[in-house]
Amino acid sequence: MHELEGFLLPLEGGGRFCLYYPPAGEAIGAALYVHPFAEEMNKARRMAALQARALSAAGFAVLQIDLMGCGDSAGEFGDASWEGWVRDVVAGIRWLRERTGRVPLLWGLRSGCLLACAAAEAEPITDFVLWQPVTSGRQHLQQFLRLVVAGRALGRADAQQAGTAELRAALAGGASVDIAGYPVAPTLALGLDAANLSLAAGRARVAWLEVTTSTPPALSPAGQQRVAEWRAAGHSVTAVAVPGLAFWQTQEIAECPALIEATASIVRGWGAQHSMP
Amino acid sequence: MDVHSEVVKVLQETLNLKPGARMTAATPLLGAVPELDSMAVVSVITTLEERFGFTVADDEIDGSTFATAGSLVEFVSSKIGT
Repeated sequence: MHELEGFLLPLEGGGRFCLYYPPAGEAIGAALYVHPFAEEMNKARRMAALQARALSAAGFAVLQIDLMGCGDSAGEFGDASWEGWVRDVVAGIRWLRERTGRVPLLWGLRSGCLLACAAAEAEPITDFVLWQPVTSGRQHLQQFLRLVVAGRALGRADAQQAGTAELRAALAGGASVDIAGYPVAPTLALGLDAANLSLAAGRARVAWLEVTTSTPPALSPAGQQRVAEWRAAGHSVTAVAVPGLAFWQTQEIAECPALIEATASIVRGWGAQHSMP
Repeated sequence: MDVHSEVVKVLQETLNLKPGARMTAATPLLGAVPELDSMAVVSVITTLEERFGFTVADDEIDGSTFATAGSLVEFVSSKIGT
């Protein structure tokens, strides 16, 4: 395999830390990883690296970019905004296009899928790999806020109780909210709140992958519904549920080999189609 | 969609209950299932939201929502409009 390349991509507000995995052998495509939010990003780091290596071995040029204020990139998390993150993803797409001459597929995890879909609006993206996609930014934000509320209730029984509605009001009023040690600015929270998982009209190619502990593995009802809607809208969707743990939130760092295999197998097929005359 | 069996599946997975355990609509939850503490309630809500694709506000739920498996199924059904 070629050498892994780490570098800082100079963007507004400072460098974004990137890892570039050159394709092994003849290139069949390019892929950009879009990471999730806060702690989910850290938990998933290992799986992201394993999948990036697997894709590189399959002939994909893979770029991982740490969004502003995340990982090893410049900036403070508390200064990050949703719009800024979308621009970072677009910058990653453009870097890959310049470097490889190919339009990359966007591979998102959780809230990264929302960012990927938003970034795709500005670029001619057709292929998406969605890992356990968050389908509604509003739902995702609500879950973070609920954790804050539950955490406060546990930690300080006598503390003034603030519900998620009060936290939302504080954000709307321009105040930051601390979520599990991450200061979340209103520009980030409200952007997330308004984000929806949607594809532009046209013919996108989508791999929808969910990880589940239920046997036999089955797609969630919400996933089935979204996949059916997208198929009806003319998109080509491959939907798979694989057995495994929710590695983006488990206490210990977990791996899900079935997800890596399923993903590599689907996109190898896409790459083969791309290289047909 | 069989909401009851989907909800039971979520309870079993989230609370690590024995997979074979039967749950009817009358099966009591809060106060009867020791695994169901306040943090577990939060993760059950979160899992239901993601699996079914809805969002729950604070004031939509209280102890009575989690009284029995049946009351929880009823709540989910009302959220997804079946």
